[in-house]
Amino acid sequence: MVTIHPMSISTLNSYRPKLCTLPRSGNRPPRTTRYKVFAKTPTFAVLSDPHVLRLAETLEDSITSSSSSASPPPPLQKLRDISSQSLLSTPWPTRKDEPFRFTDTSFIKNSDIQPIPPSSTQSVASLSVLADNLFPSLTIVDGYLADSLSQLSELPDGVFVGALSRLSSENIMEKVSKYVSSFQGDLFWSLNGVGAPDVIVVYVPEGCKVESPLHLRFLSLDGSDKDSKTLPISNPRVLVLVEKGGEISIVEEYTDGDGSDRCYWTNSVMEVVIGDGAKVSHSYIQTQSLGAAHVKWTSVRQESTSVYKFAEVSTGGKLSRHNVHVQQVGPDTVTELSTFHLSVGDQLQDLHSKLVFDHPRGFSRQLHKCIVAHSLGQAVFDGNVQVNRDAQQTDAGQLTRSLLLEPRATVNVKPNLQIIADDVKCSHGAAISDLEENQLFYFQARGIDLEVARRALIFSFAAEVIESIPETSVQKKVQSLIKDLLDPALASREEKK
Amino acid sequence: MALFTPSFSCRIPTSTSPQRHRFLLSHRTFAPRATLAVETPSSSTADHGGAPKLLLEVKDLTAIIAESKQPILKGVNLTVHEGEVHAVMGKNGSGKSTFAKVLVGHPDYEITGGSVTYKGQDLLEMEPEERAVAGLFMSFQSPVEIPGVSNIDFLNMAYNAQRRKLGLPELGPIEFYGYVAPKLEIVNMKVDFLNRNVNEGFSGGEKKRNEILQLAVLGAELAILDEIDSGLDVDALRDVAKAVNGLLTPKNSENGRIVKTGDISIAEILEKEGYKAISGI
Repeated sequence: MVTIHPMSISTLNSYRPKLCTLPRSGNRPPRTTRYKVFAKTPTFAVLSDPHVLRLAETLEDSITSSSSSASPPPPLQKLRDISSQSLLSTPWPTRKDEPFRFTDTSFIKNSDIQPIPPSSTQSVASLSVLADNLFPSLTIVDGYLADSLSQLSELPDGVFVGALSRLSSENIMEKVSKYVSSFQGDLFWSLNGVGAPDVIVVYVPEGCKVESPLHLRFLSLDGSDKDSKTLPISNPRVLVLVEKGGEISIVEEYTDGDGSDRCYWTNSVMEVVIGDGAKVSHSYIQTQSLGAAHVKWTSVRQESTSVYKFAEVSTGGKLSRHNVHVQQVGPDTVTELSTFHLSVGDQLQDLHSKLVFDHPRGFSRQLHKCIVAHSLGQAVFDGNVQVNRDAQQTDAGQLTRSLLLEPRATVNVKPNLQIIADDVKCSHGAAISDLEENQLFYFQARGIDLEVARRALIFSFAAEVIESIPETSVQKKVQSLIKDLLDPALASREEKK
Repeated sequence: MALFTPSFSCRIPTSTSPQRHRFLLSHRTFAPRATLAVETPSSSTADHGGAPKLLLEVKDLTAIIAESKQPILKGVNLTVHEGEVHAVMGKNGSGKSTFAKVLVGHPDYEITGGSVTYKGQDLLEMEPEERAVAGLFMSFQSPVEIPGVSNIDFLNMAYNAQRRKLGLPELGPIEFYGYVAPKLEIVNMKVDFLNRNVNEGFSGGEKKRNEILQLAVLGAELAILDEIDSGLDVDALRDVAKAVNGLLTPKNSENGRIVKTGDISIAEILEKEGYKAISGI
């Protein structure tokens, strides 16, 4: 790891040699070492991307101008320093980089990215969007915590949910400091680290079981017109820290205020640290506007005998990219990932997941499903499972199924297992199809006509993932959401026939 | 090779119709494998003297596998009147299941010749779902699993499709539950059977019971039971046989059925001693 000094991008920028404007592709490593993209290069200046540095500078400026005079808490400063440092050597990804081979981010790159200032979010108090809220909840508007829309009274003693800047406990602060940005992601991860105005901390002390699910609601209110080139960016960041034996259920929801197709960019990061024997259940619902870019990182660290259950439903965004990284740091962990992506318009839904096993007897089940119901729609899945030398008796299963409902609808799937240990049980499967003929016929043979049968089968496709969401109310909400999205998509399909 | 070898064939006179029920009840081992192999001459209608109504008439039916163009059915004739029970027999791969699937309109097969008349209509012109609502029911040899669709929703959809056809109002989930719950007793299953996904993770016996449950809910004028007994243990076989008989007797006792099996022993008995030998008389 490079030694970190508190140093900002602008300072470092001045050291940047002029050479850096050379075409980046000239320095691209060959395909076979594609994962090296993440690695730190000592000669960072050569790889600096002027576009990235400009963006980092803009974000940095917005943070210094918006925050109060008080210096940020040490963990936040540390996060910013690490992130600035890594941005110096991280170019904007192109489709020549393996992790972005099928995901074209030029839409974001070519926009005029503007950090959203906190002042523009003061008018939200009048919002009545929280009427359906049953859980203890925290609302984050355009990346800033909105106290007036948060309700945290039901939490047990010792549990802390709130902004890092308002964390008074030395003890928790120390732990946060240990884990904040203990992982290194890609460019977007680091941009978030530089641009995050604060860190939302969810801390569950040892042995504490939080009974009611915690609802983290991320609203995107600031957005630009479809035709304008500006792209307002928000950088929410969450750290979930569950100590030994603790339990919590988190519902993380991203949505726009009013269902229009305004353009904005949510660049979000969540880090989850799960202690020995602790359990985290995590539901993630993404229903951003169809003009939005949504980039999300979820990085999970699982200590021994911990359980992490994750269920995702993503339907929004023009470009939606989710990176899930689960790292096992002790034996006997249980990991369950269920994800459902839906593209009903000209949109891209991307899931890049990586599970790394380094200890014995890990167990994982991953199910990824996606439906592309538009001829310009696209879905991408890259599911990596890495079983390293010491991870004996790992039991890892992965299955992905994609449903293409329109001609020219696209899906790119890349399930991949890397197994070094020799006593493991691993499986993976990938299927891309229209609906199953024999299932359709079974409906018909019972007198149900083809269109009704198709609908029933399309809705049922997502059911498996939706059922893995533990909260019934969320399940119901998601079901009707998917129905509302699919109904018009299927109706237009019928008209065409 | 033709599907129905003449040596296996015999014909039931209409008068055997009461015996049939006795047979189904009394012969446990062979219970659902009722009677007859077919090579019905098309003139057979004359034997019945016009008393029972003609339900299904298959003439010189030929069919191929749609994908490979391999011929499977090479001129099949079968006439079923109301109230008759027929058994179709033959070796594995001789085309029994194909014949059943062709009758209900499975897309894997292409009809290349012959005609099928069902209740006076040209069956081959009808869509599979039209055939179903017209009262033609086939139980699948291997029922299809449909994850994500619950059994009760599936039954409700099918039942409502039928009610729409009859011009009756559709039943909502709660009303339908009231209708379907008592039917579970017929197949000796618990209520949670309805909340499970259609055939998903069902045992062989449960799948077959589920087929019969569908038959019980939807009713049928002509039921084709494709190896309804295979994969069942003694108890399940008893339940299923009882259910089939129960469905036969009350209001639909006049239904014709084609009950099929590939069992050789029953064929041998039939060949040597005729139908009465296994009918328990």
